Amino acid sequence: VKVEALQYGDRKVYTVAAFNRGVADWLSRLPSVWVEGEVTELRRHARWQSVFFTLKDPADGARLPVTILRSRFDALGLELADGDRVHVLGRPQLYEARGDFRLRALSIERFGLGDHLAALERLKRKLADEGLFAPERKRPLPRLPRRIGLVTGNDAAAKRDVITTITTRFPAARVLVAETYVQGPLAATAMVDALREICAAPEIDVVVLARGGGSFEDLLPFSDERLVRAVTACPVPVVSAVGHEQDTPLCDLAADARASTPTAAAKLVVPDVPDLLERIERSRLGLERGARRALDRARERLSRMHDRLLRAPALTLERKRARLEHAAGRLRALSPRSTLERGYAIVRAEHEIVRSVEQVSLGTPLEVEVADGRFGARVE
Amino acid sequence: MNEPSFEDAQRELDQIVERLERGDVDLAEAIKLWERGEELYKQCLARLDAAHGKIDELARRAESTRS
Repeated sequence: VKVEALQYGDRKVYTVAAFNRGVADWLSRLPSVWVEGEVTELRRHARWQSVFFTLKDPADGARLPVTILRSRFDALGLELADGDRVHVLGRPQLYEARGDFRLRALSIERFGLGDHLAALERLKRKLADEGLFAPERKRPLPRLPRRIGLVTGNDAAAKRDVITTITTRFPAARVLVAETYVQGPLAATAMVDALREICAAPEIDVVVLARGGGSFEDLLPFSDERLVRAVTACPVPVVSAVGHEQDTPLCDLAADARASTPTAAAKLVVPDVPDLLERIERSRLGLERGARRALDRARERLSRMHDRLLRAPALTLERKRARLEHAAGRLRALSPRSTLERGYAIVRAEHEIVRSVEQVSLGTPLEVEVADGRFGARVE
Repeated sequence: MNEPSFEDAQRELDQIVERLERGDVDLAEAIKLWERGEELYKQCLARLDAAHGKIDELARRAESTRS
């Protein structure tokens, strides 16, 4: 198309119509492209040839007017409504009469939940292949953190749950809160910044990333690749506590520990001090009981031994006595008495045992001893 | 010289009682062993009493630090 210009001296001037036609012509030479965005301000009238809507960039709200022939729109059968995510194939176009720039759509495809899921699945596989979710990457949580970083939305419930639970369990705990967007187009980068900022604060030993429950779409920022990488790059362990959804946000997989609720996350990062004290107190009582029991056992054993010690000498004496009596018995068996009992007699003259006739003469008085006694006699 | 530990004293006392109960020692030796046994018994008892006192003291101290 040739655009005519007017000439005033050495100045070339276009009419509005000519300028618009020129730009429109130039634009029409651009190729058709796919544009992704969110449908808003959808206007469709039976009287109108075209359907109008505005495509909004969910990340920063940039807007692009779109037109599509009504017949073509109806043929697609998409039943679009405001808020739907779509891919639009179209060419840039200038509506010459008004100087309005817009995308002239040739086709529209719904980019819905299913597509999000598929994209998420691809991202998950990619990050898993890089090893970002590997169990050996997980760092242990500190037992007694000096300071706890909390990245959360200004959603009061999640923040309150975490802080209340932490201070109940561990009154000395110090919590540094970074409030940020946790939902919407700006959430992912905002959380990345908040995470980085809080990790730079002194004495932070662990970070909790918390958000109350939400819909699948609400939680999408928690699967954002930038946030997932920020979590794995965090210099201290990260506990993620995001929503109650069935589908796990990817930052849950990347975190060092995950909790189903903000309260559960709080329980992971601090020990329960009252419970700990009670347990120590019980151990202390057990200590005393144990010591006393050991003492009682030792005393009892000693007392038994003492009893045996007391009885032992008497036992020895008894045995000695028995042996003595046995010996006495044998001694008695060997004495001349038993010989006398067999009928022999012992004869004495002047207290001497008479062993020869030469010891006596007629009339010598004798003493005769038999088994049961003595009597006198005289030699005849 | 160091006092024997409770366990050492107790072990010696055990041995003495066993020897005496076997009844194969001289009478004079038996008397001597008995005396030694009594001495050991008293030592052990003193150790146990000391331990008891220590436990009571610790328990009291624990009680006073309990809030």
